[in-house]
Amino acid sequence: MTSTRKPSGVSRRNFLVGAAAGVTAAAMPSWGRLANATGHHHLNVGLIGFSVVNTLDPQKAGLNSDFWTLSALFNGLMRILPDGSVEPDLAESVSQENDTTYVFKLHKGVKFHNGEELTSEDVKFTLDRVLNVDTASPNRGKFTAIEQVEARDKYTVVVRLSVPSVPVITHLHNGVTGSQIISKKAFEEMGEAAFSKAPVGTGPFKVKEWRPSERLQMVAHTDYFRAGQPKVASCDILLIPEETSGGTAMLAGDIDLASTIPFADAPQLEADPNITISRLPGANWRYCALNLNKAPFDDVNFRRAVSMAFNRESVIKAAIFGEGSPMQGSIPSYLKTAYATYERPVCHFNPERARAEMAKGKYGEGTEAVVLTWGSGWWKRWSEIFAANINQVLGTKFTVEVTDANVAFQRYKAMEIDCSNTGWIGRMELDEYVGDCFRTDASRNFYKYSNTKVDELIDAGRAEFNPVKRGELYRMAEDIIVEECPVIFAFNNNAHNMWRTGVEGFVPTPGQHLGSQLGPVSVPS
Amino acid sequence: MGFIWYLIIRLGGALVTIAIGAVFVFILMQLIPGDPAIAALGENATDENVAAFRRVHGLDQPLPVQFWIWLTGIVQGDFGTSITLAQGYPVWDLMVQRLPNTLFIAVYALLIAVVIAFFAGSIAALRQGKMSDTAATSASVLGISMPDFWLSYVLILVFSLGLGVLPAFGFTSPMVSFSGALVNGALPAFAIAAPMAGVFARILRAALLETKRRDYVTAARSFGFRDTFVYMHYIFRNALIPFVTVIGVQVRYLVGGTVIIERIFGIAGLGSMMVDGAFGRDYAVVQACMLAFLVFVLGVNLIVDIICAFLDPRRTH
Repeated sequence: MTSTRKPSGVSRRNFLVGAAAGVTAAAMPSWGRLANATGHHHLNVGLIGFSVVNTLDPQKAGLNSDFWTLSALFNGLMRILPDGSVEPDLAESVSQENDTTYVFKLHKGVKFHNGEELTSEDVKFTLDRVLNVDTASPNRGKFTAIEQVEARDKYTVVVRLSVPSVPVITHLHNGVTGSQIISKKAFEEMGEAAFSKAPVGTGPFKVKEWRPSERLQMVAHTDYFRAGQPKVASCDILLIPEETSGGTAMLAGDIDLASTIPFADAPQLEADPNITISRLPGANWRYCALNLNKAPFDDVNFRRAVSMAFNRESVIKAAIFGEGSPMQGSIPSYLKTAYATYERPVCHFNPERARAEMAKGKYGEGTEAVVLTWGSGWWKRWSEIFAANINQVLGTKFTVEVTDANVAFQRYKAMEIDCSNTGWIGRMELDEYVGDCFRTDASRNFYKYSNTKVDELIDAGRAEFNPVKRGELYRMAEDIIVEECPVIFAFNNNAHNMWRTGVEGFVPTPGQHLGSQLGPVSVPS
Repeated sequence: MGFIWYLIIRLGGALVTIAIGAVFVFILMQLIPGDPAIAALGENATDENVAAFRRVHGLDQPLPVQFWIWLTGIVQGDFGTSITLAQGYPVWDLMVQRLPNTLFIAVYALLIAVVIAFFAGSIAALRQGKMSDTAATSASVLGISMPDFWLSYVLILVFSLGLGVLPAFGFTSPMVSFSGALVNGALPAFAIAAPMAGVFARILRAALLETKRRDYVTAARSFGFRDTFVYMHYIFRNALIPFVTVIGVQVRYLVGGTVIIERIFGIAGLGSMMVDGAFGRDYAVVQACMLAFLVFVLGVNLIVDIICAFLDPRRTH
């Protein structure tokens, strides 16, 4: 029996060649930066030093990295300008009916990512959600002065406070606040779990895909209410936990814009003609928290002695490579109305005065204390230099204990420490640097500092609408706090951003709320 | 029949190990100090927030209850939900996103290492004492001696910043673009492969040299077989047994031990997920990753043993 194979017209060799060509064509690159070759403008943003964005739901968010990412998707009723002043954002105007009643008139025609129009019901829904205990929002504490939110008409929202409070209004901005306005309809349709992965806001970008601990892929919100924004068709925010990798990614052109720079790599990055680095005094403060209820920091003279034995300049030079400035209080210099420009001697390095101060108190040479810190980077270096400084000047026996951040913060909150080097970043409201940290029973007053006069000044500051007078009240409170040294004020580090040549429209701010700054940013195609 | 019994016994042992491992992992995670609420809620959280968080995520339940919920979930294929890494995200979904990246880089690095080792080890053994042996052996020592993170930055310096041909950061999942994964994974795969190739080449060289001296090899030569035939049938096959065993040991490292490389090149792999989960006290994530690693290691051990049994049938008796 014979069989005749019908010629297929495709020889084995041709088939293999064709198959190889097909596979090659199918596998043609569609990765990384070559995605830009499609002709549209794409922006790659590096969030350096962070490995986690826990949620994109603003009311549930608690981490700086959460807010620095999700703020690209939302707006607040208010916004903070680069100089620190506050102005309406989703609100067209804000007026006061009295000291405790604010009326927000919303812009008309503002669209959410799902095409729905923003109304007062969305604002009410958002603020009520933050305040609802069942939401378990870590941001609730900022808004407890709100008594009632009323949707007066489609575009008018009335917020009634229980007491006059300027901070509550500032906290309505698109930063580390949790007050970013969400779509009520989208939230109710999607449910909380789905909403937290692809939330619907009014921001310049909307979610394309969120890959946790890797990147947030976004596309332009073409109906964004600010004309001409966003400038790019798509944007990825990449998490870059390793700071050095952030530097190399920028040098290699894998990212266009970065949230910060590795302090040690600043000179090398600045030397590259394709990279621009911005440097501003940051919205942050670094300090050594003290356990005031335990020896040796229960003695004000010893605390003052430590403060004067601490050479802040040496830490700034050695630990953060000169990228900061000493602090003589908790208020950073960008808050100009409150920042103290005069000298506070207790925050200046003076070995003789330090020893004399220690001699007045209960503790002397040989006093032991453990400085708790975390990580292996500059936090550890800072702590080591701090301990060495104090030991050298006062003859004490300070040692450093290093643990991971979670344990350190847990012990710090519970005051299971002698002292701990720590700090806050990205805060825009003056009260967050004084009231939240030093008022009796304040949420971040873990060291349980208490002074009636300080409390009165803080309360007066919270209720004062005149910014200059308000700044003065907080500065007066800070004067008292500094003299009592409930913490050792250390330094303020610079807020950096870096971007590649061709990136236009980015305006650095002290708060570094990266996501909220991306609308006006353009890149060459 | 012997081989089937061998397999059944091995699989049974693996299941018992996984069960013990699950208990051990759960207890270990609970013993670590720290609080997931702090990791998830950040510095603004009040005690009231923390209590609500613990209640919502079942962290206020007694440990045996938490263990039972977790265990019954695992049995039903539910690995739980992330609480600090990606709040509300099913852990299984996170693993599915990352597993292809981890496996791709592992296989990529392994292939590079094996190919290099085959050539370097064979040349060194066949030309023992000559220049090519010295060169291959020296290169192996160099590969073993270079820390992978250091090599990573050297590769970035040369190929990304210098020549500009490969990216310094960012990885594309092979599920999105296979060619993208090949290109973006080239530097990390080579950084991982270089030390492994050094180890493999030295093991292969030693095994080949030892086998070369065996009596049966001398006997084969005395039959007048050609060198290539003797090498392939008498030397190489028998020398593969220690080689495969060492590959098995290294492969275990590939899945969970390349966190630094993942960090440097921005690869979202299982190793870095577990580390992030551990720092955030995301119990469900860490427990799932540990179980995955355990299953993987047991699987690799089984495969290695099967290959060795195939190469040397005496092992199944």
